[in-house]
Amino acid sequence: MSATAPLPSARAQGASPWHELDPLTRLVVALGTVAAALVLGGIVCLSLLAALTVLVPAAVARELREVLRLSLLLALPLGVSVVVVNVLFSPGTPAEGALLATGVVLRILTMAGAAVLFYRTTRPAELLASLQYHGVPSRATFVIHNGAAMIPRLAERAREVTEAQRARGLDTEGNLLRRGRGLVALAAPTVLGAMAEVETRTLALETRGFTRPGRPTLLWTPHDGPVQRLARWGVLLVLIVLVLEHLAGVLPC
Amino acid sequence: MLRLAGVSYRYPGAGHETLHAVDLELYPGTVTGLAGAEQAGKSTLCLVAGGLAPRVVGGTVNGEIDIDGQDTRDWPMHRLADLVVTGLQDPGGQLSLIAETVFGEVAFGPANLGLPYDEVVSSAEEALRLVGIEHLRAHDPTRLSGGQQQLVVIAGLLAMRPRYLVLDEPVAHLDAASAKLVLTAIRAAATAGTAVLMAEQRPEAWTACDAVAVLGHGNILATGAPDEILSNPRITTLGIEEPAEVRLRRRLSEAGLDPELMGSAS
Amino acid sequence: MSATWLRVGGGLAVFALIALAGLAALGGLEFDEALDTFTLVMVVAIPAGIATYALIEYAQTRRIDSITGQFDTRTLVLMPVAIALNIVLGTAVASALKIPIYFDSIGTILVAALAGPLAGAVTGFLANVIWTYLAPPPFGSPFAVPFAVVAVVVGLMAGTFARWGWLRPRPDSSGRRLLVGGAISIGAVVVMVVIALRAWLAAADGSSLAPKSDDTAFFILGWLVVLLVVGTAVGLVVLLVRRRDLAAAYILAAGVLTGIVAAFIAAPIAAGLFGGVTGSGADFVIAAFRRAGADLEQAVLGQSLISDPVDKVITYFVVYLILGAMATRTKARFPQGRYLLPLNESEDVRDRAAPER
Repeated sequence: MSATAPLPSARAQGASPWHELDPLTRLVVALGTVAAALVLGGIVCLSLLAALTVLVPAAVARELREVLRLSLLLALPLGVSVVVVNVLFSPGTPAEGALLATGVVLRILTMAGAAVLFYRTTRPAELLASLQYHGVPSRATFVIHNGAAMIPRLAERAREVTEAQRARGLDTEGNLLRRGRGLVALAAPTVLGAMAEVETRTLALETRGFTRPGRPTLLWTPHDGPVQRLARWGVLLVLIVLVLEHLAGVLPC
Repeated sequence: MLRLAGVSYRYPGAGHETLHAVDLELYPGTVTGLAGAEQAGKSTLCLVAGGLAPRVVGGTVNGEIDIDGQDTRDWPMHRLADLVVTGLQDPGGQLSLIAETVFGEVAFGPANLGLPYDEVVSSAEEALRLVGIEHLRAHDPTRLSGGQQQLVVIAGLLAMRPRYLVLDEPVAHLDAASAKLVLTAIRAAATAGTAVLMAEQRPEAWTACDAVAVLGHGNILATGAPDEILSNPRITTLGIEEPAEVRLRRRLSEAGLDPELMGSAS
Repeated sequence: MSATWLRVGGGLAVFALIALAGLAALGGLEFDEALDTFTLVMVVAIPAGIATYALIEYAQTRRIDSITGQFDTRTLVLMPVAIALNIVLGTAVASALKIPIYFDSIGTILVAALAGPLAGAVTGFLANVIWTYLAPPPFGSPFAVPFAVVAVVVGLMAGTFARWGWLRPRPDSSGRRLLVGGAISIGAVVVMVVIALRAWLAAADGSSLAPKSDDTAFFILGWLVVLLVVGTAVGLVVLLVRRRDLAAAYILAAGVLTGIVAAFIAAPIAAGLFGGVTGSGADFVIAAFRRAGADLEQAVLGQSLISDPVDKVITYFVVYLILGAMATRTKARFPQGRYLLPLNESEDVRDRAAPER
């Protein structure tokens, strides 16, 4: 089933085979990549991992440049610190420290890449619908979706209150006490306003049948299939093997 | 018919009752207005009629509440949602935030009820049309103005095709044109069989009502046809705004002129 | 009551069993390995303990009401707000502040206090996951997800402390309790402030601890956090002296305990996965420890043991303030709200006609 009128495509649904995949599959790959990056340590293995689960899909999705750019942006400050710390404080030679640092940096890059790739290619509403399709209760999907959606709203609200306080002469200079009062005057309405909305929204959801047991009607269904299902289980299996090998100390990298 | 008989309500931890022995009947196909001053208890009565009090808000309810002859006091909220839905005052706060588009937001209620896909889509479409916001269907609801959001909320409630619709100040923050749209939609819903209870302050709202109940200090003081109730000079002492026409007529009589000079009533 | 003890006891027993078995089986004689193993064992033992609790309750009552009761509609609506609070404040602090505090669990503890330990744990967990995978730039952080287990533990602890009434206002406490509690608390505040300041100032090498950021909102939020650091110390003392509110002592206890546990679970993750570097002010402290001769894991643990208790005490204090600003009626509607009310008030809000759930 393809997306119909109810869910307009903001990011050109079906723009690439990667986009066509069930969002759940994309999520499993992203989570799996992060978990694997945590377990693996060697430069070779991490590079292979990154290439396979981040770079190739990014290329297929025509997001390679953005993924690289954002990953580097996210990882750079940390990466620099890692290199500096590990080269200067290395228990062995600086060269050994540099090797360790490279491993850590690669790990960070891979994790960042996986997260960015997922974020760039999946819309929250799609993920939500897919999770519901696969049986995740609507209460859980509600919290996950709104958890992400609330972030810009809260930041927006904080900015609005900042501007309002600025207009009323909030002292951004001046002594600590003055600034203190000003800042409390900023924070309090933001938080308390959010709490008041909680009450209204609770009532509104209840009256619209939110607590009805059973699954709500889905307006959109993802493209799932046996191949993807197999792939998802495959990722889990590989992860378990990796963790066991890591614990047993036999990991080649 | 939605019937409240001798219903009183006390908020949790409150020292006194907010509603005292309220009798109210809502008949299918009619719009009943609820008039009263700020603290008279209109919002509370809306919460009780819609079942949100005591289920979600807590508190104690005494008296009888039936819908179509069945005692609904022990029904869980989601069972009530099939029959009665409630609109509250803050439009932005009522958005589910879970929908990317206005269409998705309006379809949220019917989807929750588990209706078949085609029915969900058609009720949402119809509700959008009824409220006149089809052109907004692809917009992000959180980016709309307060007035537009209110229209979206009402459409969302109408999409559930409720038998009983309770609205707390639906047109309070709307401009004249949007208010007219909403009142027309409410009338259309009534014509289609819904029973509406509408608490309001704005006098324009009474033109859409078949009956008006006056609430003062938690008691229903009077019920009757809008003309009859609203031309009673005592309403101003209860904090209710006189409709413009009524005020004009009164002034004409006070000035010694024949009010009929004004021509036919609204 | 004994039914609850059975469940809790069962859950704790399974948790302890797996924890001890795991630690024994995986060896870890060296300090470093022991820490890593500890975290891994936690990741397995905690869900197992919770699952056991749920299973016992199911066996007792064929339902899991004590868990599902924590997740009513109101809690579900609060959780996204709490998650956003974690992420927005956490990001602001990380990007604008040099002080090594995280300030990313305020939502977790708020939900735990109002709704219950499991609700708090889930909030913390989801916040970390969303922070990595779903948060829009500039809020996304790839480094949050591995610390999800820490957030779970923080939620569980906070919810339990709240359930025990530790976040109740206790104004006008009298006599000996206030004296003893007050003295210990003020002493603890002084000690913590001194240790923290010495560590941070030494680490910063004289550069300013003031917030720096291009983004106005982050800048202001950064200042807000500085204010809170100072304000918490002052505030706790004020609570004790002016209001005679013994809750200050409980806040300190909760914060320190939660902080210590969190430090032990988080340190191996930071050390093992990122070489101890997290891109925040903590790095300077870690470097200072290493200059003094500690190895990586020790340095990270040392830094965490300074930062986490301070961070958690501040967070609990801020949550206490927020709860104080909420009306009784509002708090009472939450599943665990009545344990947050002063003792005399909590009786009144128990209703004869309990709302339908």
